[in-house]
Amino acid sequence: MASGLSDPGAEGPLAAFKILIAGGFGAGKTTLVSAISEVRPLRTEEALTSVSASYDDLQGVENKATTTVAMDFGRITLGGRRVLYLFGTPGQERFWFMWDDLSYGALGAVIVADTRRLADCFASVDYFEKRGLTFVVAINCFDGAHRYDPAEVRAALDLGPQVPVVLCDARQPESVKNVLITLLEHVLAGLPGEDYGSQPAPAAPPLA
Amino acid sequence: MGTGGKWVDRDSDPVVRPYALTGGRTEPADGEVLDLIAIIVDSGRPAQAVDQRGLSPEHRRILTLCQHPATVADVASDTGLPLGVIRVLLADLIQQGRIKVMQDRPAGEKPSAQLLREVLHGLRAL
Repeated sequence: MASGLSDPGAEGPLAAFKILIAGGFGAGKTTLVSAISEVRPLRTEEALTSVSASYDDLQGVENKATTTVAMDFGRITLGGRRVLYLFGTPGQERFWFMWDDLSYGALGAVIVADTRRLADCFASVDYFEKRGLTFVVAINCFDGAHRYDPAEVRAALDLGPQVPVVLCDARQPESVKNVLITLLEHVLAGLPGEDYGSQPAPAAPPLA
Repeated sequence: MGTGGKWVDRDSDPVVRPYALTGGRTEPADGEVLDLIAIIVDSGRPAQAVDQRGLSPEHRRILTLCQHPATVADVASDTGLPLGVIRVLLADLIQQGRIKVMQDRPAGEKPSAQLLREVLHGLRAL
């Protein structure tokens, strides 16, 4: 633990954690983050790497050396000066160079799903599965949208039985809190030797 | 151009090319890229005369913000400077010993079960 502070009254986080919030454009990522946290702007001005350069057509703008991504993140202050950060991932594939940065050391991820456009989730599911980053799927129940059963969404996204799929209302703090709690429980259940829940690892968490 | 005499808003292109603030450098001096949520704080080390000369207003602003522990993301947001620029400027200050990184766990490592349980309890208590 960090213990370098000589002034016990000093403010600021002593431990910080991050969770990624992924999902297609308009699925409710920003709404979800805003519902539960203090939202702050973050500007990135990345020097174009060979990876991102392949997504950026530089014909005619050869001296363009950086690309700008404006994004937001959420901060939730927990007890004991622990702060949880929620980073929405820019959805378009051209920003995937950001994802590696964002997912580095992350606790896990929430994929916000809009059942009208489930295909928008495929890229996120693929990415997190490949990276071995634990994730849950939160189906954002928009007013008037046809509500699919979590089992139908699980089948459509070809998710394993261990991945929690929960319904949520991204506008409701309590609902979003439950999504984050589900993720934390899922992460804990997957730790070797962890007897969180009732079964030995790899435990199947209770499904919603 | 906005109202109230405000010429620049968040969506504007920067007036100064971002990496002009770093003298054109896009990589941190020590080659180490700080995690977004690395916690940084003013080391309390008195400034050396030679350091002061090399400090830009942006460096000084970062030092002010780091009087209390803050994350890299917080400092980037508070200054409005792009993340890549903040990382370069922070590396300068770390090299000079003015800023130190407070590590509760090795960079990029997942938190222990104990820390995860504390986060879980904290969330439930919200």
